[in-house]
Amino acid sequence: MTMSLEDELTTAAVNGNSAEVEDLLRRGAQVNGLNRFGRTALQVMMMGSTPVARLLLTHGANPNVADSSTGLTPLHDAARTGFLDTVRLLVEFNANPQAVDNANCRPVDLARKYGNEDVVNFLDSLENSQ
Amino acid sequence: MAHATSLQYEPVAEIGGGAYGTVYKARDIESGQFVALKSVRVQTDQNGLPLSTVREVALLRRLEQFDHPNVVRLMDVCATQRSDQETKVTLVFEHVDQDLKTYLERAPTAGLSPGHIKDLMRQLLCGLAFLHSNRVIHRDLKPENILVTSKGQVKLADFGLARIYSCHMALTPVVVTLWYRPPEVLLQSSYATPVDMWSTGCIFAEMFRRKPLFRGESEVDQLGKIFEVIGLAPEEEWPTDVTLSRKNFPPVLPQPITDFVPEINEQGAKLLQEMLTFDPFKRISALNALEHPYFKEEEKLTQTKS
Repeated sequence: MTMSLEDELTTAAVNGNSAEVEDLLRRGAQVNGLNRFGRTALQVMMMGSTPVARLLLTHGANPNVADSSTGLTPLHDAARTGFLDTVRLLVEFNANPQAVDNANCRPVDLARKYGNEDVVNFLDSLENSQ
Repeated sequence: MAHATSLQYEPVAEIGGGAYGTVYKARDIESGQFVALKSVRVQTDQNGLPLSTVREVALLRRLEQFDHPNVVRLMDVCATQRSDQETKVTLVFEHVDQDLKTYLERAPTAGLSPGHIKDLMRQLLCGLAFLHSNRVIHRDLKPENILVTSKGQVKLADFGLARIYSCHMALTPVVVTLWYRPPEVLLQSSYATPVDMWSTGCIFAEMFRRKPLFRGESEVDQLGKIFEVIGLAPEEEWPTDVTLSRKNFPPVLPQPITDFVPEINEQGAKLLQEMLTFDPFKRISALNALEHPYFKEEEKLTQTKS
């Protein structure tokens, strides 16, 4: 099966390969393009790879795209897996901390459920500062 | 074995073609968590799956019952019959959203602290000692399949798959990295659990250096780079059952390991040398490595998260 540039981009992102992500974007891969599973690179990236997240976001990746089956956004996934740097970055690029998934959970709810206290504190501090 | 992967686990991206067949990142629709789907097609006859596959899967499931903190969870195994002759076996593993490669890249410019490296190494060796005590050889240990959770927990992935996939590997000409391969594998001699300890040594050095220790471009080049550090192995240690002769390599002498890993302390350097030992029978085991004086000296463990 031949892979589209967007398939290649999501594969580079899922592996946390920032050099490859950068190269594919330069070669014209659409940052918000869908792979053959209907997902964008930001949705599937290795959540712990802040360099990949930064590259995608600075190239205009939409941080508020929700998973078609569960309603989860990248911020939900970063909060659940506990990667604070990625959470901060997504918020900096206007990811919505109040987004709810199909089970009506916000990112902070998942961070709390999975015991990621630093993420809980950060997301709580956003609410308090509003 | 369950028969409904496609419903509960929805693929979201291809992770890689891999030597072992395709690997996908997928979402468990019920829990919302990511999982890794590793599939292999196996030939079947009137008796169903080959006994070797059934045995390997049974071994992986048995390991699972120990719930070891330093290996990824095997969450599910599914078999889907494709035709009379072919069945797709899918292993569903826990997915951790960070590997050691990314982790090292993200480390501050000053590098990881000595205490932090010790903590990662202890966890890595615990996982390995567990696998080895269950007679599982990883065979392909590298930073990409050593996973690190946001809470700093190390989990080994991709173990025990080599034998399940072995019959398919010859058919898939993919580039696999040579950098973590021990001499006995590069020389195509017989090998066992010590192969993983060589790879662990390479990774130990890389935690300090934040770049690979031996970056060979071919089997022979890789061996040459190894000898430039550990010295050419003596004639009596050279395996007898191999085609590549010792005479192909210049008679280089061992260099101090601290020339290549300057930040390592004295006990760390001793342990590293015991891992990077040419003769697999003289190489330190995972259990003995955990008892090494390197792990007895306490260092301030500055717990860095995520």
